[in-house]
Formats: sequence, structure tokens, C-alpha cells
Amino acid sequence: MSTHVRHLRSKIPSGVLPSLRLRRTPPLRLASSASLPTKTNAFIAGVDEAHPPSSPPTNGARFRLAVKDNIAAQGLPTTCASRILTGHEVPFTATIVTQIEQRLGAELWGKTNMDEFGMGTHSTNTPYGQVSNQLEGRSAGGSSGGSAVAVGMGHATVALGTDTGGSIRMPAAYTNTVGFKPSYGMLSRWGVVPYANSLDTVGLIAKEVAPIQEIIYAVCMEHDPKDPTSLPATVRERCVSERQYYPSSRGTPPPDFPSQGLRGLTFGLPIEYNIEELSPRIKEGWMQVADKIMEQGGRVVPVSLPSTKSALSAYYVIAPAEAASNLSKYDGIRYGKRASPASSPGDNSDALNGILYAKTRGEGFGPEVKRRILLGSYTLSSEAVDNYFKQAQRVRRLVRRDFDRVFRLPNPLLENEHGDDGNKEQQFDLSDMDESVTLESKLGPTQIDFLLCPTAPTTPPKLSDIAKQTPFDSYMNDVFTVPASLAGLPAISIPMALPKSEEDPVDFGGVQLIGQFWDDARLLAVTGHIRSGQQ
Amino acid sequence: MSRVPTAALSKYLLQGQVSRQGCLRLTRSPQISARALALRPAIVSHCRSLHTQTTETPLSTSSSAAAAPSHVPLRKQLKDEAKKAKAAGKKKKKNASNQVVPGWELTVGIEIHAQLNTAKKLFSEATTSFNDESNSHVAYFDLATPGSQPHFQKETLVPALRAALALNCDIQPVSRFDRKHYFHWDQPSGYQITQYYEPFAREGRIVLQPRDGIAAEDGDGLAVRIQQVQMEQDTAKTTAQPGDTHWIDFNRTGAPLIEIITRPDIHHPATAAALVRKVQILLNAVDACVSGMEAGGLRADVNVSVRRTDDPNAPLGTRTEIKNLSSFKAVEDAIIAERDRQIAVLEAGGVVEGETRGWSIGSTETRRLRGKEGEVDYRYMPDPDVLPVFIGDDLVTHLRESMGQLPDAEVDELTDVFGLTAKDALSLVALDGGARVEYFWRVVESLQSKLGSIISENPACFQLAANWILHELGRLTSNPHDESAQDLGFTADGECQRVPVDSLADIIVFLYQNKITAKVAKELLWVVYRGNVPEQYPTVADAIETENMWFHELSDQEYAELADQAVEGQEDIVNQFVDYKQYPQGKLMFLVGRMMRLGSEERIDPKNAEGVMRRLLEDKYVPALGRAED
Repeated sequence: MSTHVRHLRSKIPSGVLPSLRLRRTPPLRLASSASLPTKTNAFIAGVDEAHPPSSPPTNGARFRLAVKDNIAAQGLPTTCASRILTGHEVPFTATIVTQIEQRLGAELWGKTNMDEFGMGTHSTNTPYGQVSNQLEGRSAGGSSGGSAVAVGMGHATVALGTDTGGSIRMPAAYTNTVGFKPSYGMLSRWGVVPYANSLDTVGLIAKEVAPIQEIIYAVCMEHDPKDPTSLPATVRERCVSERQYYPSSRGTPPPDFPSQGLRGLTFGLPIEYNIEELSPRIKEGWMQVADKIMEQGGRVVPVSLPSTKSALSAYYVIAPAEAASNLSKYDGIRYGKRASPASSPGDNSDALNGILYAKTRGEGFGPEVKRRILLGSYTLSSEAVDNYFKQAQRVRRLVRRDFDRVFRLPNPLLENEHGDDGNKEQQFDLSDMDESVTLESKLGPTQIDFLLCPTAPTTPPKLSDIAKQTPFDSYMNDVFTVPASLAGLPAISIPMALPKSEEDPVDFGGVQLIGQFWDDARLLAVTGHIRSGQQ
Repeated sequence: MSRVPTAALSKYLLQGQVSRQGCLRLTRSPQISARALALRPAIVSHCRSLHTQTTETPLSTSSSAAAAPSHVPLRKQLKDEAKKAKAAGKKKKKNASNQVVPGWELTVGIEIHAQLNTAKKLFSEATTSFNDESNSHVAYFDLATPGSQPHFQKETLVPALRAALALNCDIQPVSRFDRKHYFHWDQPSGYQITQYYEPFAREGRIVLQPRDGIAAEDGDGLAVRIQQVQMEQDTAKTTAQPGDTHWIDFNRTGAPLIEIITRPDIHHPATAAALVRKVQILLNAVDACVSGMEAGGLRADVNVSVRRTDDPNAPLGTRTEIKNLSSFKAVEDAIIAERDRQIAVLEAGGVVEGETRGWSIGSTETRRLRGKEGEVDYRYMPDPDVLPVFIGDDLVTHLRESMGQLPDAEVDELTDVFGLTAKDALSLVALDGGARVEYFWRVVESLQSKLGSIISENPACFQLAANWILHELGRLTSNPHDESAQDLGFTADGECQRVPVDSLADIIVFLYQNKITAKVAKELLWVVYRGNVPEQYPTVADAIETENMWFHELSDQEYAELADQAVEGQEDIVNQFVDYKQYPQGKLMFLVGRMMRLGSEERIDPKNAEGVMRRLLEDKYVPALGRAED
């Protein structure tokens, strides 16, 4: 573990990077679009543009794995798409990368572009050039936009991303791919550069559910002692004992989905998600998915998640607060890029107004990162912490309570905390509840297996429109993805068809399914079934 | 300000000794004008540091030194000053007038930071170290390498819990870690992980007794409440290099500390120093702490406020914080200076600002570091990567039971069983970070096996051992010209590299059994200290044998003959024993001295010689005088 300081500096000269930066992606035939991008900026490093992946993976690897640039892979730089980490190579490999390489035989296929440190909704906050969707000129979603496009364009079979408030699900919805955020604590974060530790979750993007399912089956029982928030083996055992569709032992294939289809499963439509900003076509697509589920025997009911209204605000307090804290380490002293003294004439110091680091941080961080550092520093300040940070933590608990009330399965962590069956205690106050929610019995409304809701309120916006948006507009896009992040629940976004439109040629959207904590295996199995029914 | 060598500093702080060489160096130009001194405040304050105990105001001290007539030899002048300072210092200790300012009440709360005695850092598996090669014990997390995470080392809880138990705290079943944010190059992550909201121990107390050195005004003693004890990370060590360069050693980054926060229960400066001293003794006694204040292992911040005594219901005054005090004396002096400053401000109609102040050793005033407006907002936040710490009752119970004797009980035993004075017992317990008393207990053990008896049968032997360990051993290292030999090399388990337990026990047994004289015993101690045992002689006994140092005492007959020789021709002296108002002890010793000179000194026990002479005077020489006169 111990290492000498000077060995930690990257050995890669910073001049090498730009040559890795630009890559021309091979034209791929996409059903939904006629215009193909000539340059997506999906990759930051590691991909040789002269050798597009036309042949199968080498060295017996079964598939190609693209890795988001905030996940460490030794031999490649890990910069989080930030100038402040230009050329930086983390001197170890993230546990999840090692697991996938070793357990499943994957070939590492480059580091993917992203919003700087994961902060953004469209993968435009990056010094490597904004990521373009396969639909040229459209947002690829963020922050794992590069990973989603790498999969969407066929460069990689599976891409690793991170999801803090929707950063995997959003790009999946915008790029017509499948994006999965597992339960918090399932996949190790060792080697993942934190944005907001209590929300950061490593997840996967692929074109179908199956490869994701395979990876989750392979690693879901593995505790990583290097990650203090990785769920201990004993707790995993306990969680799994109350769940279905987990492999009985390592190496066993995923159990088949029962022939009865979705019969016996209840899906909840959260009525609070029917917001003003929701595009009518997305709403229409959402309802069509619900109809399809009912056709396959599933039951669909409206449910109420009253704290949803405050969830987005709470997220934009908690995430920037943790980010401001996490990003204090970037000072250019031990690693990364230090502002050069010569950058302004007559100035021979790397300090600004006598403050060490100020110039490095001023030059190294992009505007969105600076905005969130300021936001987070304010909400943690002694005058604001009670009104913002602590309130947001309370809202977070309410959000989790909302989920625990509507799910049929109890939350295994909650049980543990209170020593009794916490779920039974979770009763709705009628005054909290929307009147459109019907009561199942005198105990309350119907309890459900999964939530079904849109991933994003709109189809991928045009990059030219995004440039005109305020930061607040893009924060709004996270409204459907943030609640599951706050509660640490598994959530998956799969493509859904949209009704034809004259104004918007995009004919797909993303629909999200959210499950109770550690119900990941069943969520994947059910989603896989729904997905197969779509085709 | 130039640096004073650590050895000289510790001698000054701990023993009140002023190095003459140091004085000479600092006042090299005796003719320096008062004006020149005024222009060089650093030197003035440095001079002051050597004379803080004079009753004169420091300014007049330095100006009188500066304006001293040139015909007074410098050496003499320095000697006189040292004498004066010494005398004044002694006087001052007795009159405790500086402890109280009439009409004002002082209130002090203290925060003490101590380095925990652990093998690993608080949140990484890197080893804790002292003087190892720079940056050789650094884990990824210690450097805040992106993607690395903290791994709480639960073993660090053991010394932390011992410390909290020694301070009579309530151990909290659940505690958490928070981030305290501030930018400094010695803090790689930009925050320190500490326990702000939920510390692991609360509500303790320390009882201080008069023997702990509290102010006389505190009478029979007092209990100081402890608000909380928290665990936290240490920072990197910075070494200033010439120019604007700073070298950073990350070996210390993330090493575990505890911070002990007292309630504002202290009202006298000496009591504050006594509290810090007692905390250090307690932490050493339970093996919680790596080193004492003098080695930099303990640092104190004090919060000081004053209020008028006329209204008992008045709230406490605005407090200031003096940071980073690194000696007991600094604690007391800084509090006195800050109290006096605040009173002066208030008496002049001013307002005390809540601010952070600093103190340099030897100065007479605290200095402003930063005001409220410059305060860092630490933006405390629970660390999302560190799980809560759950401490089971079983662990607490086990540690409580296995903690052993605390210093107060030990001091009681030393005074009651071994007949030490309270002062000697306290010194023994405090010296060498507790290693000295450990050494004492091992010598006691060794003596018991050598004598084959228990303490109560030979109390004098064990008292002898205590005295030797306190005083004779101290003499070995008191030569100020021999800086290389300043360390006796006590180890934590009670061995001494320079004077092994077994060798000392040998010397003491031989001395106690009268097989060697005290003079020989002292010489033997040097022989051991210089390493001649075992290099030259395998054991102490061999050294005595080879050098023929056994004490072959004169027989009674020989003593009597020697006495006869000694009084020969001394009738005038003997005469004075005939009829006296007060026994002429001096004359007796004169005669004993003659015995020593006439006989072979190495065979004479002065005490026995004295007895023989006394008896013979009474029985033989005085009556003989009478007969001669008859």
C-alpha cells in the first residue's frame, strides 16, 4: 500500500494526450436516424482511431468494455474530463474493472468522455469537446454520455459509467440504450473518483439487458474490503435470502423468466411524476409501455411518492456539498496539472493574490464544476448548513420512506436499523396522498413490485439549444432519476418507442423501472422480459 | 527569530537552567544601544525569554543590559543576572500573586491534541513513524489520491479508549466522523477527518490535587470537566528550507490524534498548566500517547476570557483562543499574558475581540493571528465514506479492567510504601514519558529477587533505589558540555540502555549491604553508564573485584586505633567536649575527617567512624583529659 510520493506522478507526458483525443467513428447504420455524426467525442483516451473495432475482441476476450474517465484503469489516464487532472494516471485499477476483466474476460476499450467530474446532464461540460449523440447534433445525455455513445455506436459491448443522480440512465434514454444503476453498495467504488460519495454508484450501459445481467450475476456477491461502503458479505447473504432471481451459487446461469410472464407483478405509476415539463410524447410512450405490461399480465396502479417534489432540490444541495468537499483535494501539488507561473506576464508564482492553489483551481476547473463547488461550499457554511444541508438530509430520509411504503418488499437495511419489520410500520398519512391513489384495503394503497416512470422528461435536446439553456434548465432534466439515487435503489432505463411527430424526428425515449433495495436481480429479469416483448 | 536548540530549550523549560553559552551568543554585543534593540524586536524578545522570571519589567531588563557600563566584565554581569533571575524565580514560585488579578476572574478552557500510540494510521494501513525516511510511509489515501478511500483502522480505538477511560469519560456506543475543511499544503485532501458532531467519548473529568502543581488559590484541589474526546487525523510535517521552499513529509499525514476538550472550569494559570501536565501523565500511564509535550507529541490550545468579579451573574467575557502551545510553561505564561492583555483592554474602556492569537516561547505578549473576519468556516460535513463506529460494552469493560494502575494511585504507593516525598513521586511518574517509573518498578523487582525478600523487610533499600533513580541517574546527564550523552535511553517497557536494570540493582544491593561505599557506588554508576560494564567487566561484581573496590571495613579494634591516632595532639579540640551548651558536632566531624585522612579511606565508613569517635570521646578521651588534669 505504502508508496513513495514522487512515484505517484503520472509518467505520461501531457503532450501525448491530444493525439489520443480525436477519433473518427465508423459509420453505423441506425434505424432511427439518417444523419450520422462524423465525430462524437465519445472517447478521451485509449482508442486508436485508425483501428475501429471491426474484428472480434483479441486475446480471447468475450467483449469490449469502455470505461468512463472517472474510473481508474492502470495504463490509461483517469482525468474525469477535467483540465486539473490532465494526463493524470491513477496508480491502481478500479475493483470493478478488474472484476469484469477477470471474471468475464473483457477487453478494455478506451476511456470515455463525460461531464467534468460527473457534473452535468448532457456531457457538454468537458474540455475534450462535447459528446454528440449518434443522432448528430443531439445531446448524448450526461454525465456518462461518452459511455452511452460508445455502446450506441457499437464500439463497446458494455460500458462502465457512474450514476450519481441519473448519469447512466439519462444517457441511456437519450441514446436508445439500456442503462442500469445497481443498489448502492453492490459494486465497489474503489478506484472510482468520487463526485458525491453517498450517491455515486457504478453502473453499466449496453444495448440489451442480457450483458448487464451477466456482469451483475458474476459480481453481485463480492464484497470489496477496499471500499468502506461496499456491502459486507454477511449483509449481501441476508439481502439475497429475501430476494429472487439471484444465482444460487457463483457461475450458475441466470434463472429463466417464468412462462406466466408478468402475471402476479404490480407496477406503480408515480402520479407526482406527471409534471408540467413532461413532454406529451414521452407521456404517451410511458402509457404505451404500461399498456404492454398489462397485456402481458402485469398489474399497473397509480402510486403516490409525495416527497418527490422536494427530491430534486435536496439532490442539488447534497451532491454539490459532497462535491465541494471531494474536490478540495485538487490543488495541482501532488498530482494533476498545476497552473504555470508564466501564464500571466510579470507573475512568477502559481498563487493568486497570495493564495496558493487559487490559480490552479481557477484554471483547472470548468464553469459547472466551479458553480457546484460554490453551491456546496455555501450550503455547508455555518450560516446555511442548518437550512440547506441538514434539511436536505431530512428530505432524503423522506424520499426513502416514500419508496419503502409503496414497495411490497421490505427494505433490508431498514429492518436492520430498527430491529423489527420496518416496512409494516410505514403507513401513509392520508393527507400526504394524492386523491387519485386508490386504497387497496383499510391498511392503505396497493403495494407494488416496481415503479414505472419516464427516465427523462423530453427526447434528447439539440446541442445548439442546450448552449442557450441556463444551468437550472439542465438540473430540471434529472427530476425523474434523482429520487432513486437519493434512496440508493436499483433503477434501469430501457428504450421505449414514441409516437411519430412532425416536429421531432426522434422516435425513442427512455422508460425507467425502479426496484426495492437489492431487488436488482429481479429488476433485471423483469426488464429483460419487457425488453424482449418490445422487439 | 533565531532558533534555540531544543536541548537548551528543554533544559530551560524543565529544569530552569539557562545555558551560559546561549546567553553569550545572544548578547554578543554588550554595547548595543537601546535604540538598536528597539529596532530588533526579535532579539529583545529572545533576551526576555531567558529572563522571564525576573520581577523587573522585561523592557528594563533588556535596556539595563544594553546600557550596562562597559567596564563591568560581561561574564560577571551575566553571572549576576543569572543569580538574580534564579533568586527572583524562586521567590516568585512561593508568592503566587501572578495567579490572580484583584477584581477580575479568569476563565480558561483547554483543547489538548495528543498523538495516539498506534502501529497504523487512522484511515490507512500505512505505518506510523517518527524519524523514518521522509514520505516512506504513505498510502494512496494519505495523499488523497483520486479513487482511493479511507479504511478505518479499528485498532486505533484501543489507545483512544484507554485515554478516554483514564479521563473518566462516557464512551459513546455510536460515534461518527466528519470532515473539517480548510486548505493548507499539509492537508492533502483539503479536509481533516475528525469527530465534530458525534465524538466517541463525552463528559469526563480530571481531578487535580495540590501535588499536581495547581495554583494555591485552588486550595485542596478541583475537578475539571471534560466536554468530549474525539479522534482525528494529523497533518503532514512541513520543513522550511532556505528561500520560499517548504518540504512536506507525508509520513505524519493521517496519523491518529485525540483531541481532549475541557469545559471552562479553570480559573488560574498554574492550574491550567497542571491540567495539561496531568493529562500527559495520564495518557503516558495508559500507554495511549506516543510522546510528551517536550517531544511535540502533545499540543494545547487555550481559550481565555476575563470578567469582573463584582457581578456573579455576569456572563463570561468574550474569549480568545491561543493556538499551538507546546510546553506547560507556555500554557501558563500565555494565559497570564492574555489575561493581562484583556484586562488592560477592558480597563481602558475597550472591547475584547473574539480572535485567534499566537504565542512564542519566551515572549510576554500574545499576538493576533486572525480576527473573526479571518476565521475559517470549516464547513463540517459527515464523511460519507466513513461508516459509523460502534463500540461494544465488552471492549470498554475489557479495557477498563486491563488498564492497570493510574498515576494517582501509583504516586500514593510511592509515597506510602517507598517513603518518597510527593514531589519526588510525581517527578518519578512524569519523567521520560512514564518510562522512568517503569524502570523503577523493574529495579524493585530485581532487588527483590537479589535480596530474596519483600519490600517491607528492607524498606531502606527500596528508598535508596528510588533516590538513585531520581537523583543519581539525573547527574549522569546533567553535564551541559556533553550534549551527546544527554539521553539515558529509557525504553517504554522500563529498561535503560545506558544503565541496565540489573546493573543498577547490583550497585544498590552492594551499597545497601555495605559491601561498597557510597563513593564507590557512584563511581560504579559511571562505569556502567560509560559502558565499561559489560564491555570491560562482565558484571558490576567483576568490576568491583577487578578494581579491588570491595569495602573491607576496619574492625572495631582498627577503628579504635585510628581514633586514638586522630586525637593525638588534639587536646584543645577534645577539651571542647568536656562541657558544652550544644554538642560540638563540627568538631566531631573534624576529628572524623582526621580519621579519614590518617587511615585508608576506602576501608572507612564515615558513619561508623563518626560513631566510634563519638563513643570514644565520651568513654575514653574526655575522661582521660580529666585524669590528666587530676
